[in-house]
Amino acid sequence: MVLRAVNYPLFLLTVLVALVASISLFPESWVMWRPQWLAMLVIYWVLRAPHRFGILTAWSLGLLLDVLNASMLGVHAMSLSLIAALVMTAHQRLQMYPLPQQCLVIFLFIGLGQMLVHFLHQLLGLPRGGFDYLFPAFTSALVWPVFLVLMDGTNRKLS
Amino acid sequence: MLGTRVLLAVLLSAALMAGDRYSPVGDHLRSWLTNGLAPVYWLGHTPSRVGGWLSTISTSREDLIEENAALQSRMLVLERRSQRYASLAAENNRLRELLSSSAALDDSVMVADIIGVTPDPFTHEVILDKGSRDGVRPGQAILDAGGLMGQVVHSSAFSSRVVLISDNSHAVPVEVNRSGARAVLLGTGDRNVLELAHVPDTMDIQEGDLLVSSGLGGRFPQGYPVATISSIEYNPGAPFARVRAQPMASLDSSRMVLVVFTPESRRLASPEDQRETSADASMEDN
Repeated sequence: MVLRAVNYPLFLLTVLVALVASISLFPESWVMWRPQWLAMLVIYWVLRAPHRFGILTAWSLGLLLDVLNASMLGVHAMSLSLIAALVMTAHQRLQMYPLPQQCLVIFLFIGLGQMLVHFLHQLLGLPRGGFDYLFPAFTSALVWPVFLVLMDGTNRKLS
Repeated sequence: MLGTRVLLAVLLSAALMAGDRYSPVGDHLRSWLTNGLAPVYWLGHTPSRVGGWLSTISTSREDLIEENAALQSRMLVLERRSQRYASLAAENNRLRELLSSSAALDDSVMVADIIGVTPDPFTHEVILDKGSRDGVRPGQAILDAGGLMGQVVHSSAFSSRVVLISDNSHAVPVEVNRSGARAVLLGTGDRNVLELAHVPDTMDIQEGDLLVSSGLGGRFPQGYPVATISSIEYNPGAPFARVRAQPMASLDSSRMVLVVFTPESRRLASPEDQRETSADASMEDN
């Protein structure tokens, strides 16, 4: 399904909700597992309206995430642009995939983005080890079906 | 077409990273964006605010009376201690005068609320609801009821970001309260464990010792409790002992904190009379 007309107020609302959800609304002791809401949102909108949303949207949202995350400016911007570019090259195939396969691809894309963030942080000299940084990619892939149904539902209702 | 745009985005991000690292432009942009994101911080803080409000209105009258009585008695105990403190501080200053060294001035504090935690699980940072409008500047120390919590690293108009002492890029110069031995306390990335760096086997240090800030780095005010020693391991093969400490401040559960204004930072900030009018009402000398 590709959206013919994009509901911009809805887009802005979902961005606001995703930004709030990425700093709040999650138990603090499980924060390692918090899904990458903003990355999922970028994937969704680029997948559904590849003619409207692309690298620039992803880059600006990534910049906001950088400020919220207090990471070096540009790190998440680069990672989200990469994810958007991957979705743009694959969106026609992604639309056709069955849901489990889509989840797998989501895990791959967000995992790659996380890997880039991790790599850049290591490059900038912030010591952190292990593969913990892949946990959010895993939970994002798990909640993707619910996320997709919710977003598609609101989109259908409001269009 | 897509390739050029990706390349452009990557180059722009790299330029931003360089700008953020090597020039003040990144700081301006960050302050500006943080101010723009103020509604997001406000909304993100709403659930805990609503939770607090709900627990306030659902507390029974009896509980409140009981709590009030407990707080009254606790205040009495603390006030007795602070009476003695006042005379001790005066005596200490007289003795310093006798030694013709400068008198130790008292710090003043401002109460701030923690309105958010940085979502990155690898960094230990929190967001406060006071910013440069209230006179908060990078470098100021943050305390809670137990002891030193961290320091301000960035302040925008309405909020400021604090790095906690448990962050693995953070270090505090401390001294052992009992013996006066100096050391540097490092964060480990675990909120309950701090590590003392480069402690020789012969240093006078025991389990249970209190570590207070030594004020030697010029960053933290002197004499605030930071941590207690929880374990010491001597390994004959290693050049230094492995000393772990537990922070005095409750780093993961405090909601209200104190921003410390040392006499120097007050003097630095005083030319801007904006703070004098807005923050003096909420500032109190301790």
